[in-house]
Amino acid sequence: MAAAEAHDRAFADAALPHLPALKRVAIALTGNEADADDLVQETFLRAYRHWNTFAPASDCRRWLSTICRNAFLEQRRRESRSTAVEDQELESLAAARLHNHARASGVDHLFTRLDLGPAISQAIASLEPIFRDVVVLADVEGFTYEEVAEALGVPIGTVRSRLYRARRQLQEALLAYAIDAGFASARGPETPPAPNRHG
Amino acid sequence: MPERSNCEAVVRQLWPYLDGVVDESMRERIIAHLEMCATCKSHFDFANAFLEAVARSRSDVPADEELRTRVVQALSAEGFKLSA
Repeated sequence: MAAAEAHDRAFADAALPHLPALKRVAIALTGNEADADDLVQETFLRAYRHWNTFAPASDCRRWLSTICRNAFLEQRRRESRSTAVEDQELESLAAARLHNHARASGVDHLFTRLDLGPAISQAIASLEPIFRDVVVLADVEGFTYEEVAEALGVPIGTVRSRLYRARRQLQEALLAYAIDAGFASARGPETPPAPNRHG
Repeated sequence: MPERSNCEAVVRQLWPYLDGVVDESMRERIIAHLEMCATCKSHFDFANAFLEAVARSRSDVPADEELRTRVVQALSAEGFKLSA
């Protein structure tokens, strides 16, 4: 009990006086007071949990600032990941909208009845290189996300984002091609979804 | 009639599902939804047909014996032995 009290007393005496300084650091990192307050709180929680790793002779403010910066960077990485996931889901929604557009334009059968080989190759060639590379490797050559990521030296999340965006651009280009070429006609047959292409 | 919010949640997973990268519980949820929602199923079918069309667009590169020979020769210089 005495040890716990001494632990907390030491923390209160050494760490808490730096709270105003940490707040300044947090504002500099986050750019706003509300997020800065959350970050300061997270910083002190972490500092408390790891107080036994603090060397009493060292600079406590610097130690806290390091924790603060790390907490901020972790938070930003998490947010960036969730934004990426949201972007990927929006691309899926865009695919459904594009299907509605194809149906309304009378080219619902676009990919099942038409020989689009040359048009697809041309549309792929017209993509920006960063999108073309992923769609060629993943959708034409059948590489998994992991294999594409390794080949291109980018994270898997980046592969997915680029791939989904590339697919949208391809679908848009092919839809425009079919409409311009006057392929509109009755609806075509349905084909069952086939998952596990990249499992 | 499936709820609209369910439809959106399922369609948000369209590409990951077709690529086979959703987890098992999500996969089962999507399959169950597609069995009762013709609209969502048509979106998935359309996207799947697109992927199949893209995969079919691959142009086959003819066998290049000259290149193969060159490669094997270069490998041989490194100690490579071609087994029958």
